[in-house]
Amino acid sequence: MKLLKYTVYRLAQAVPVLIGISVITFLLANLGPGDPVSLMLQGQEHSEELVRAIERRYGLDRPLHERYLTYMAGLLQGDLGQSIYYERPVTDLILDRLGPTLLLVVSAYVFALATAIPLGVVAADRRNEPTDHVSRIAALVGVSTPSFWIGIVLILVFAVKLGWLPSSGLYYPWRPPSAYRGIDGHLELYYQSARHLLLPMIALGTLQMATIMRVERTQMIESLQGEYVKLARAYGVPERTVLRKHAFQVAQLPIITIVGLNLSTAIGGAVLVETVFNINGMGQLFVGAIQRNDYQLVMGVTMMLGVLFVVGVIITDISYAYVDPRVTYGERE
Amino acid sequence: MSSEPLLRVENLKTQFFTEAGTVRAVDGISFEVREGEIVGLVGESGAGKSVASMSIMGLVEAPGEIVGGEITYKGETIFGLEEGPDGELRKRDDALSDEEIRTRIRGNEIAVIFQDPMESLNPVFTVGGQLREFIELNRGLEADEARAEAIDMLREVGIPDPEERYEEYPHQFSGGMRQRVLIAMALACEPSLIIADEPTTALDVTVEGQILELVDELQSKYGTSFVWVTHDLGVVAEICDRVNVMYLGEIVEQAPVDELFYETKHPYTDALLDSIPRPDRTVTELEAIEGVMPEAIEPPSGCRFHPRCPDAREVCKRVHPETRVVADADGEPHRAACVKHDAFDVDYEGSPPLAGATRETGDGVAEGTASELAPNPADDGGEGRE
Repeated sequence: MKLLKYTVYRLAQAVPVLIGISVITFLLANLGPGDPVSLMLQGQEHSEELVRAIERRYGLDRPLHERYLTYMAGLLQGDLGQSIYYERPVTDLILDRLGPTLLLVVSAYVFALATAIPLGVVAADRRNEPTDHVSRIAALVGVSTPSFWIGIVLILVFAVKLGWLPSSGLYYPWRPPSAYRGIDGHLELYYQSARHLLLPMIALGTLQMATIMRVERTQMIESLQGEYVKLARAYGVPERTVLRKHAFQVAQLPIITIVGLNLSTAIGGAVLVETVFNINGMGQLFVGAIQRNDYQLVMGVTMMLGVLFVVGVIITDISYAYVDPRVTYGERE
Repeated sequence: MSSEPLLRVENLKTQFFTEAGTVRAVDGISFEVREGEIVGLVGESGAGKSVASMSIMGLVEAPGEIVGGEITYKGETIFGLEEGPDGELRKRDDALSDEEIRTRIRGNEIAVIFQDPMESLNPVFTVGGQLREFIELNRGLEADEARAEAIDMLREVGIPDPEERYEEYPHQFSGGMRQRVLIAMALACEPSLIIADEPTTALDVTVEGQILELVDELQSKYGTSFVWVTHDLGVVAEICDRVNVMYLGEIVEQAPVDELFYETKHPYTDALLDSIPRPDRTVTELEAIEGVMPEAIEPPSGCRFHPRCPDAREVCKRVHPETRVVADADGEPHRAACVKHDAFDVDYEGSPPLAGATRETGDGVAEGTASELAPNPADDGGEGRE
């Protein structure tokens, strides 16, 4: 019950943050260089009246604050405006593309956590032994290599040279692309979907894996030196239980923080990885919108990414409160 | 006095192999603990008290290692070395294996209470959960029996509403309450010996008093023996039966508690006693012990206390005194490691006092002049001052 209260409290705190995001993106999109009207006219011969008419139609002739309020009013009803290029509601476009991006980011984190935590624990347990040194070098390489480069190399090796995995696209098993229509059985669809996911997931997850692994190692080493570990040993707790339970549980708290804070780099990385793997997600939508000066779409996607980040941070905070009993749920004693 | 003590430590040596050199943290100490007794291990920080107690549990962490001596518990060898065929030291066959020490000794035979109750409990598990885990492990009880036992024990150590407190986390307990939890933990495993490593140092004085009272009460109820590690002679006077005073890895004096306080035989113990306020003596100023304890990497030659000793003489620099019986206290030996006693036949009286030795010898020795005015021996002239 306390946790529910805390959740509501954290959500309420997110409101001013989101208003801030909306103001900044609105200002950036409207005050930045480039002119949406000339985009719409696409270099055709045009009269001054036509420009005025278009401005009036999109409300561009009104003062900035009025336009902002109109935009916010729409936002509250889930209306992010109309994309100039696609001539479709921005909300629909985002909802279409959100899925692949979420799938990519979440699976990259699952991959990163599933590999980094055991590796970090092993490195801490075998501190300064060969295993530890190898993992340190691997982490260094992982942290310093950009995700798009990893993506290109993965494509080169596993798609082009070996031909084991597809080089582009990402699909939900429950919404297969036309090429896979007619394939019988869900298993096959899941399998194909997973094959598409594998390379971009690794490309995006490597940086996270490297970071998390180093933090996990450091935390485990610190935790293993804790008095509570000494106490557990003094009471005859087997070394395996000391490592996996007593030291491990305490060491996970900062990992949650790292996951939350790195969410922004992960979402940013997703934009690049989607471009490399030609995945029809938010990233591609975003890059295209910027290139075409489709300011309504740029604002909409930026808002959406902001919301994703804020939600991620809130989930992090709440899980922290759930895992660490010392977090006081923002209440005063 | 039963024939076989509960715990016997003989010539125990524990060293730490660091880059700066070998730290001889515990350097050949011997003592014993009998049934139902509280034995004090006293000394300044760095004297090797905690290392000694961790050595008994076999919990010395790298780069530390027990390099010599023998530890027997209830007649079984917990630790023992022998010389192998090639002259290398190896574990004796009759000594318990690491696995046996873990399952048979730690917790169920010898339990510990650590110094810092704030850090000793795991912050992410409930207090009850931690108690239950150790009870299950060491007494072979089922989960719900262990839970009942844990709650009983929490009540026993004076924690109100134990059923509710059982479900709470360590941060919801005060320091004194956490130390009670740790005492409950130790007693609940029903060990014969509890090693308490400065258990009241982190607590304020009133709470310390309560904890000492509690330990005294529970000790007489359960008959558990204690090794009480502390730097506080006040605590020693309050609860210990016999005392070992440690200095730089060695035991310098060993005696029943009253004997130690009233018939002090070692200048270091004397200095310790002079440095604390005592109700039976009125002084205008407390005497701190001069200087700091030297490093255990390269301990001073001869008696390790001689650079700080007010009674030091030339001979103290040369002769390293091992602990010997110097007096008898109602059938109990009173041991000390100081050459000024007759048990050491090294002509202490004939040896000139060292520069810096500031006290007239107190043992009725016929030396008319204050030692600081005495002529300095030639080889010591460099340090000489008026």
